[in-house]
Amino acid sequence: MNDLNFVPLHPTPMQPPPLPPVSAMFTGKRGDFVRLTARGAALELVTAGFYRFWLATDIRRHLWSNTEVAGDAAEYTGRGKELLIGFLLAMAILVPIYLTYFLVTIEVERRFKAFATLPLIFAFYAFGQFAIYRARRYRLTRTVWRGVRFWMDGSGWAYAWRAMLWGLFVLVTLGLALPWREAALERYKMRHSYYGDLQGSFEGRGWEFFKQGWWLWLLTPFALYFTIGAPFVYAGFKAVEWRWWLSGIRFGEVRPESTMSRGALIGLYWTAIGWIALLGVIFLAYLGLSVALVVGASGMTFRDFFQTKAFASNIPLLVLAGAGYLAFVLGINLVMRVVLMRDLWLKVLGTVRVHNIGAAANVTAKGELASALGEGFADGLDVAGF
Amino acid sequence: MSIFADGVSALDNATVYFDGMSSRRRIVSLAFGDALEIREDGAAPVNWAYDDIRRADSPAGMLRVSCLSAPPLARLEIRDEALAAGLALRCARLGENRIGGGTVAKIVGLSVAASVSIVMLVLFALPLAADHLAPLVPKAFERRVGEASEVQIRTVFGDRVCNRAAGQAAYTKLLKQLREAAGLDTDVQSVVLATEIPNAFALPGGKVYLFSALLAKAQNPDEIAGVLAHELGHLRHRDNLRGMIYNGGTSFLIGLLFGDVTGSSALIFASRSLVTASYSREAEQNADSVTIEVMHKLGRSPKPMGELLFRVTGKEGGRSLSFLAGHPLTEERLQRMTAEDRPPSGPPLLTEKEWTALKGICDPVDKK
Repeated sequence: MNDLNFVPLHPTPMQPPPLPPVSAMFTGKRGDFVRLTARGAALELVTAGFYRFWLATDIRRHLWSNTEVAGDAAEYTGRGKELLIGFLLAMAILVPIYLTYFLVTIEVERRFKAFATLPLIFAFYAFGQFAIYRARRYRLTRTVWRGVRFWMDGSGWAYAWRAMLWGLFVLVTLGLALPWREAALERYKMRHSYYGDLQGSFEGRGWEFFKQGWWLWLLTPFALYFTIGAPFVYAGFKAVEWRWWLSGIRFGEVRPESTMSRGALIGLYWTAIGWIALLGVIFLAYLGLSVALVVGASGMTFRDFFQTKAFASNIPLLVLAGAGYLAFVLGINLVMRVVLMRDLWLKVLGTVRVHNIGAAANVTAKGELASALGEGFADGLDVAGF
Repeated sequence: MSIFADGVSALDNATVYFDGMSSRRRIVSLAFGDALEIREDGAAPVNWAYDDIRRADSPAGMLRVSCLSAPPLARLEIRDEALAAGLALRCARLGENRIGGGTVAKIVGLSVAASVSIVMLVLFALPLAADHLAPLVPKAFERRVGEASEVQIRTVFGDRVCNRAAGQAAYTKLLKQLREAAGLDTDVQSVVLATEIPNAFALPGGKVYLFSALLAKAQNPDEIAGVLAHELGHLRHRDNLRGMIYNGGTSFLIGLLFGDVTGSSALIFASRSLVTASYSREAEQNADSVTIEVMHKLGRSPKPMGELLFRVTGKEGGRSLSFLAGHPLTEERLQRMTAEDRPPSGPPLLTEKEWTALKGICDPVDKK
């Protein structure tokens, strides 16, 4: 396995003169994105969720094609149908595994009782990590800039093994080893990533990440105890992580750098929380109103209505509550996508400068498309990868 | 080489061509002849047939096109509005690979069809599959499943088996009559477990649990006999196994819907409860039929069982929704059993003395 070793690929001898760093820009309008996701969320409901493959694709197409680096906008060439096929393939693989496991568990549980579910957790964790690697590979091979695609080789299972061993180490060290895990895994991913014939690498060190984020590790127990602190700590962690990750990426000599401050994302997370709280209040008010309406129509008193538990068997009320819940869910999905995807991406892009972009001025196209199997696994197992 | 360091100020209106083989940014001019001619200084012109040109995703204010007969990633980016309009005019099939309203309607149509077929599978195919698959499962496997759940039951409800000798003898006698009338073999075993919860159930593989609290509420042997016959009915129909197949299949099929929609788990849970409750209600009704059949066969009435259930639960209607319950409503069951009431034509299942002994099966035994 020669490709497991990191071989720095030097760019062609005729190097262009170094250029001043360039910035990244986002040119999309917020209104367009809100319309796109609102329509997509409604379609998701109508299609019992099947529209998710096309919505995810539409969102990526919007974000990619409005992201400009050095004046040139990227393009996402993936399609919803590919995601659907990936999902069906993943199901075809997962279902027999689930079934076999189910049968084996019964036998094992009879003999060893409690620990029978442990291998299941391991197996699914491995599948999840495989999914994360392959999902990124799919996304990367659908990313085009200047008429040349990004691509990836390497093995999803080799990655899953590394992720599992590092995961165990993080568990044993109570999370302290997390920066080193992220660095090691990102090194594997990036050295198997390419832009045309330009090989990627990752220069971020676990130690640097640790230096920037150790105080968050100390704060976590308090944040978990006083719930109000959790969004602060999480936002701080994400900001540190983004900055460290972006600044560590290399494609040949091309070197992005992020100047994101620690507090940069706090506002965003609170915006999302605020919107969701508002939606919650509206939903509760709507529920109250529905109850009042139904009780008024039935001629019962509120007291009778609740004491006889009649509310649990009142079909008009259940229908009203169900419809309200659907609208509530739609609203939450909209907020998450607009604030925590689009607005976050904007915020991140705003902090990026790219050094030495000249190295990407004459890259030769290379690389094959990858299937969406990983995305299918990620969907089936509910893991989010990046 | 025309690389612009930052921003796009100098090339606001320039037309840019990427040939799909390298990332080199080429400033080109366009000529509209028989085909689109892309001209670059010092290079041979490239021709794109108008009918092969398709729109690609682009930021606002730019027309980006690809060409079917060119390398797949070759892109032409036109920022000049007039030029873009001129090209669009000539390319009749420019928008063909876009996802338009028709495609969305197709996705919606297919998804609705898929959802309907999933619902149909859950409602019709799965019960059928459960009926046909359950008999294929080896008895030994079923027993293992039962043993696994027995471990759980003993941890939840405690391990206090009632086995006072006289009571046990009466219980064995009662069970034997019922088992033979129901046509089941000696795989069937049953114990009385001392708990505060009035209930009884059958485990896969043939173990029936009767909880002492239910026995305490019973007023005559026929009441308990009816309950036991009901559990034997579950065993005869292999309802546990069928339920496992059905519930597993339902969870999986319904889980295919809604995927990553935040908050969808409540929807999934609700719809799953709805269908599994309906399936379980049917199984309960069939088990009740076995009670009726067995009790009639023994020349006794099934009505006492209905009365016992009613004593335990009271009237259920109005308190909960019948279509959410895993059992038929108690009053409906009592009504059904009453309709099947017949004057006794056979001997009592237990003598007075045996009945008293059975009632006392959980009394402390003085061990020596």
